[in-house]
Amino acid sequence: MAIEKIGRNPVEQDVYTDEMLLNMGPQHPSTHGVLRLLLRTDGEIVLEATPHIGYLHRCAEKIGEKVTARQFIPYTDRLDYLASMNMNLGWALAVEKLLGLEVSKKTQHLRVIMCELNRIASHLVAACTYGLDLGSFTPFVWAFREREKIVNLFESVCGARLTYSYLTVGGVTADLPNGWLGECEGFLDQFNRSVDELHALLTSNAIFIRRTAGIGVLSPEMAIAYGCTGPVLRGSGVDWDLRRDGDPWYTQMYDGYEFDIIAETNGRYPNYQDYPPIPSVAVLGDCWHRFYVRMLEVMQSIRIIRQAMDRYSSADGEVGGPVKIKEKLAKGQVYLETEAPKGQMGFMVVGNGTAIPWRTRIRSSSFCNLSVTSELCRGCLIGDMPAVVGSLDIVLGEIDR
Amino acid sequence: MAEYLSQYIPYWIAYALIGLIQAGLLLALMLVTVAVFTWVERKVSARIQDRLGPTRRGGRFGWLQPPADGIKLLLKEDLVPKNADAFFFRIAPYICFCTTLCVFMAIPFADGWVAERLNTGIFFVLAIAGLGVFGVVMAGYSSGSKWSLFGAMREATQVISYEVPMAMALVVPVMVAGTMDLVTIGNMQAGWFTNWFIFHDPFTFIVFWVYFTCAVASTNRAPFDLPEAESELVAGFMTEYSGFRWAIFFMAEYGSMLVVSCLAVILFFGAWNGPIPVTQFLGLTNDLHPIAGFAANLLGLANCLIKACICMTVIVWVRWSLPRLRIDQVMATCWKYCVPLAAAMLLGAMLWSYAFPAGLLFRNQAFGYASEKSDVMSDIKNGKVARAEKGGRQTWK
Amino acid sequence: MEMINWHTCFFLLFALISCGFAIAIVASSNVVRMAFYLIITLGSVAGLFFLAGADFIGAVQLMVYVGGTLVLLVFGVMLTARSPFVSMRTGGSQWILATIVGGSLLVILLQAAFSVENWSGERIVQTTSAQQQISPTSTKIGLSLIGLRVDQLEQQDETLRAGMSGYLLVFEIISVHLLVVLVGAAYLARAKRRPLKEPSNSKL
Repeated sequence: MAIEKIGRNPVEQDVYTDEMLLNMGPQHPSTHGVLRLLLRTDGEIVLEATPHIGYLHRCAEKIGEKVTARQFIPYTDRLDYLASMNMNLGWALAVEKLLGLEVSKKTQHLRVIMCELNRIASHLVAACTYGLDLGSFTPFVWAFREREKIVNLFESVCGARLTYSYLTVGGVTADLPNGWLGECEGFLDQFNRSVDELHALLTSNAIFIRRTAGIGVLSPEMAIAYGCTGPVLRGSGVDWDLRRDGDPWYTQMYDGYEFDIIAETNGRYPNYQDYPPIPSVAVLGDCWHRFYVRMLEVMQSIRIIRQAMDRYSSADGEVGGPVKIKEKLAKGQVYLETEAPKGQMGFMVVGNGTAIPWRTRIRSSSFCNLSVTSELCRGCLIGDMPAVVGSLDIVLGEIDR
Repeated sequence: MAEYLSQYIPYWIAYALIGLIQAGLLLALMLVTVAVFTWVERKVSARIQDRLGPTRRGGRFGWLQPPADGIKLLLKEDLVPKNADAFFFRIAPYICFCTTLCVFMAIPFADGWVAERLNTGIFFVLAIAGLGVFGVVMAGYSSGSKWSLFGAMREATQVISYEVPMAMALVVPVMVAGTMDLVTIGNMQAGWFTNWFIFHDPFTFIVFWVYFTCAVASTNRAPFDLPEAESELVAGFMTEYSGFRWAIFFMAEYGSMLVVSCLAVILFFGAWNGPIPVTQFLGLTNDLHPIAGFAANLLGLANCLIKACICMTVIVWVRWSLPRLRIDQVMATCWKYCVPLAAAMLLGAMLWSYAFPAGLLFRNQAFGYASEKSDVMSDIKNGKVARAEKGGRQTWK
Repeated sequence: MEMINWHTCFFLLFALISCGFAIAIVASSNVVRMAFYLIITLGSVAGLFFLAGADFIGAVQLMVYVGGTLVLLVFGVMLTARSPFVSMRTGGSQWILATIVGGSLLVILLQAAFSVENWSGERIVQTTSAQQQISPTSTKIGLSLIGLRVDQLEQQDETLRAGMSGYLLVFEIISVHLLVVLVGAAYLARAKRRPLKEPSNSKL
């Protein structure tokens, strides 16, 4: 106890509580992967949270300098393994741009179907592991039931359930099997009800709102400064989506599709009357809004998939197949960012005339999203840590590469 | 019963034997309920989550899963961490378990079927139930890890805080009944379900829900299960426990669920008196034949246990539906919501009893005083003793 | 076989536990163990109360002492112990002083206890019936709270009967008010908390 002289009388200060260094992870049920969060806490309040990464580093970029462009596709699967199709797409588009190879419209529609389906799957995992972190076990199982149907669809397309390696340089590895479109439509028809159940269990649940509203508020300026993208950025109210605002080589895939970009404008989300209302305690940029953006994006993805399926069926031509394995890359450099479920994934490929790239570089969305953790966690309680980290929706596969 | 046996064997043996039998019955009740409810929890949670649950051990419904789990836990390695205080580490689970078991001494399951009929039944139950916190604190402290200590402190804070509104909520049916004796309270609710205390007045109805919330919080079940929060603190104060020691904690948790359910049933839902007075219709009373009285009590026992099981199933249901509250939200719920609400309901119930002393609807039992007349009561009624006078000066002999 | 008086058995058991663990508190050097032994001691004192038929007081002992005071004590001990297991050692001179003071107090108590006439006689009535009577231990307390002088029930003198009243409830209410005032005063007079140190920029 310290005794200070304040004025004329000595005043005893309170007992100075010790700061504690706590380690959350790398093995921890609530960090999404092998992430180590070092917390400096004063009692229950977190003074500083430092993420330590690298536990899942597998030298992906170095491997990119050893294999050909088409051989690198399976390695992109393992980046964000929950959204493999989008990773494949990012790499494939970058290499195609370098080669100057434009795929047919039919292929593009097919790619849109796959990417948006995987966006739904990724957001389901994100939303419901978030609920699991906060103690709500049931939505997790229900969401995985739905994801199981999506994964079955993918399995009938390419034979794999998690790492698809389906979208490749030049097109896709194989066309859709017979009846696949019908099954997909059947899935979409019954999916709305599941989303409503998840809304009832999570989005409108009073306890969930108490745990997430007003927590981890990220201002748009900070989000842009730290390079946050995806639902993290849109949850803070910034209207930016690469499917509309990105590189033309990428946005041409989404040409003519009608869908809303989910970001709050003038206090409202697009088609807000169809969805649960925003609670009064929620602040723009908090965990609840990021979660809400993901749930609404799922509905938009359903819209896109329906349009894409119609276009795919009515498009003529053939779906492009993959290029030669040892296809020589042109000299030059291409950096292309795409809108993956977790944010903007950037792939850079530098070709030097041989089949093997000179350099590959992957810009990970979760890496930049995670970097804002230390800012968001300052001053929050330990019980809020899973809430904040879960709302950023990180996957260590793409952070560590 | 010992009196009956003492005709054949010396009374001290009879005394000990009856004591042991009753203790054994209570232990058996608790353990069987725990075993059954692990199965119930897994099945109910599975069905809520759109899956099946255990289906392999013991036929299609997996009813042999609890013994299988028990055997598995017994066979696990007996581990005491190096940093742990071994003495406390070993003894902590047993403290939790024993305090929960001791509570059953005062809980009646049928008219007169109670191990120890205490005049201060509720008070005893609350006192013993509050001792479980020591096991938790010992466990957390002696595990020698920061996470366990954290969890233990949170749990202790939560349990102690929720004792206050729980006690206040329990005072309301005690006040309505006029006695703390649980057997008397059960007997007062004889007849149709309209005699149940929960339907006595709206304040008691509301205070049941306050009690339910506090009971769920004091047994550390979701949404108040932060001390065991798997996704945040691994397993809280139970992190370092494995195998049989963990099983003891687990049994203590389910045991305390049974305790609060039994209390809720006895105080609010008519104890062993069903919605329909079946024993009355069948004419099974003690006057007919002791065996008939016994049969009536047996039916009452079954009734009481079925209602307690329904209550426990609701607790399981709530666990698998709701997310978890943060510790400061748990505290806020206790002190800002439960305590004022319980206090207000206490006041309301008191005013209601004052305004409608004989009850409002369908009352056929006299309320106010305990049915056992003590000498003091008869003395007052006969006017032999004066009451306090307003403003009177007391004179001492 | 000679009859075993279970009452005496349990009394001896509880008494031995109380005294034994009380001695263990004094003899132990680990603060946490001391707190735990105190829990056991006070718990077996509650057991003694139950044996004497005072179940209300026994429950009060458990609720107030063990469940309240000792929880506070255990919290305090566990939170403020710096090293994992704090040791306390008392010097030799303190042992001698303690023995003298404690011993003389024990002698006085024993002498006072054995000078009560009734205790040396037969206390426990051996009945053939083992059935317990329902003793309404809390009825009298409840009645005295509403003003009945339960200690003067046998008052035969009619002239003294008028004006006999009790103010136990009033006394309790005033005590609680006093507690509230004390808590409020302590809160108002607390030292202000030092502001939180700025988070350091050290590399963790």
